[in-house]
Amino acid sequence: MADGNRRERRAHAGGELVIPVAAVAFTLYYFSTIWNSPWTAQVGAFLVGGLLLAFCAVFFARVAIDYRAGEADLGVANLLSWDDWYCGRVGLLATTVGYVWFVEDLGFTLTTFLFLFLSMAILNRLRRLGTCFAVSGVMALGGWALFIWAFDTRFPSGWFEQTMRGLTG
Amino acid sequence: MSDLSTGQILAQVFLDTIGYWWVIIPTIFLGMIVGGIPGFSAANTIIILLPLTLAMDLETGIVFMVTLYCAARMGAGIPAILVNIPGTAGAAATPLDGYPMTRSGRGQQALAMSFVASSIGGLLTTVIALATMPILARVGFYMHSVEMIVVMLFGISLIASIAASDMLKGLIAGFFGLMIGSIGTDVVYATPRGTFGFLELYDGVPLIPALVGLFAVSEAFLMIERRTILDDSDIARPKPSWEATFEGAWIALSRWWHIVWTSIIGLIIGVIPGAGAAIASFVAYQQSKTFSKTPEKYGTGHPEGLIAPESANNGVTSGTLVPLLVLGIPGGATAAIMLVVLQFKGVGFGPSLFERAPEVGYGMFMAMAIAYLIMTVTILPLSRYMSRITTIPTIYLAPIIISFTLVGGFVPREYMFDMWLALGFGVIGYVARRTGYHVAAILIGVILGPLLERYFLLALRKSGGDVSTLFSSNIGNVLWVLLVITIMVPIWQSWRRRRQAEARAA
Repeated sequence: MADGNRRERRAHAGGELVIPVAAVAFTLYYFSTIWNSPWTAQVGAFLVGGLLLAFCAVFFARVAIDYRAGEADLGVANLLSWDDWYCGRVGLLATTVGYVWFVEDLGFTLTTFLFLFLSMAILNRLRRLGTCFAVSGVMALGGWALFIWAFDTRFPSGWFEQTMRGLTG
Repeated sequence: MSDLSTGQILAQVFLDTIGYWWVIIPTIFLGMIVGGIPGFSAANTIIILLPLTLAMDLETGIVFMVTLYCAARMGAGIPAILVNIPGTAGAAATPLDGYPMTRSGRGQQALAMSFVASSIGGLLTTVIALATMPILARVGFYMHSVEMIVVMLFGISLIASIAASDMLKGLIAGFFGLMIGSIGTDVVYATPRGTFGFLELYDGVPLIPALVGLFAVSEAFLMIERRTILDDSDIARPKPSWEATFEGAWIALSRWWHIVWTSIIGLIIGVIPGAGAAIASFVAYQQSKTFSKTPEKYGTGHPEGLIAPESANNGVTSGTLVPLLVLGIPGGATAAIMLVVLQFKGVGFGPSLFERAPEVGYGMFMAMAIAYLIMTVTILPLSRYMSRITTIPTIYLAPIIISFTLVGGFVPREYMFDMWLALGFGVIGYVARRTGYHVAAILIGVILGPLLERYFLLALRKSGGDVSTLFSSNIGNVLWVLLVITIMVPIWQSWRRRRQAEARAA
């Protein structure tokens, strides 16, 4: 079982390389920002970053050995596949980006309602839209009542919040 | 009160405090809610409700703030167990074993275990803190930068511990977290480092967006593959029952010694100003695993892996009050806000506080003890109902988690940038989970990295750059030895088990 998992995991080493590649890129960028800085800004980063680069180098070597031995390919199927589209993950990512994009202008309540409704509709494959509408409405209004009306938390404010502030004084 | 003995004063304060049950009970529920939502905490709730807090009389204000503090700490463990989302950084070690229990249909037991461990841990450490306050108050004086470096390394060594299945990936994740934690200006010359030009990162990576992204957002994107949070392979889904609550409570009670020593770890770390619940829970988990007879079970839903961080982070609550009351030095953010509120009400801190105003000094500890007692009877029965969240279809749950936690990421600093940052961390967390890197290892690095660097630089600055200063103090050297033992014991145990297995096979 363990061997089977190992083979399965190593079959798509491309996905496993994303984090180490990102780590190396970030570390090199970080080094570039401290190259001419005082030693106090450098010492910890060079120590930790140096070790991180060493670990990543060992990992790259491990992947290369597995690749040459035919135990790994550079595919990314463990990270990206058509299943991400079919299960609605890509749609959820798009609505999440939209949520962060629009929440400053539309305000917390309205954006949360739209995000919840669209996301639930996508994940439900456009079925049970009534349930999605009701759950989204209750959650968005509940969030407004708890956080903005009761706690007076400074969430992003928009048309709805300003109207309700006028109505509730 | 000055004519009364300490025992009589304590009895009087107990009776006075229990009379505030009408403040304690609603505050417990408020604390559970704010503790459970990333971005909200006891500290910023007291700030949000400052007009109310300042309007209260002194005793009511103390009871309110202390109860909120304890309840928020306990509440942070609920989403950590049920949906793999720690409410605060102090609960970041809780999902390591709490969430696997939920996935296997034991969420209710896990909640009951967490509540019992938290209550007993909090109650016990309150009593110990009260009894040993003069000694504990001195701990902060002995913990200089060198000693703090070793304490941080205790926490960081957990990276290797939780990444036992693939050490190299665990180290990459942990050190990547440490590098991310190094973003921001250095503590001596304020040189900006790795900020990508964003002014919002000059103070370092804010913790809540990192927590929200790595745990909540990435978990939400993964959970939609399943119908509910429970493993799809579970054919017989357990129905909520009182038996499960009692079973969980009994599992925790039967490990009472584990609760005792891990909560004392929390108490001692809580006394050190600037340390905090996150470090305490990581250290307690790591120590619990190191000295366990079954370390291989950790990370799979092992009760002791849940009890240790929950006892420890509740032990921190009483610990942070000690330097606050005795020295006027707050041990954490919530204690700092309490200090401001109480000073506004004319309370002067220091060793003489317990003679001048025993109702304040003893009252804070008594409020904490009574809050934990009442929490046990009010919250424990709710585990039966809370665990039902695991049966909500993920198609509804995932978007709710994303929206409310992303906005939670916005709350502490009120920067839109922090929501984008949380989303960025969500992508990192998702990639990490899908490809076998542990997000907890990244988070440990993000939390402890800046602290470690700060103390390291302070130690070097004080010694004029002499690295041997790391081994210059007696307490520090004792801690170094303990750290080496902590690292070596699992290796030795693993070697011994392998030898025994080989011997049996032969």
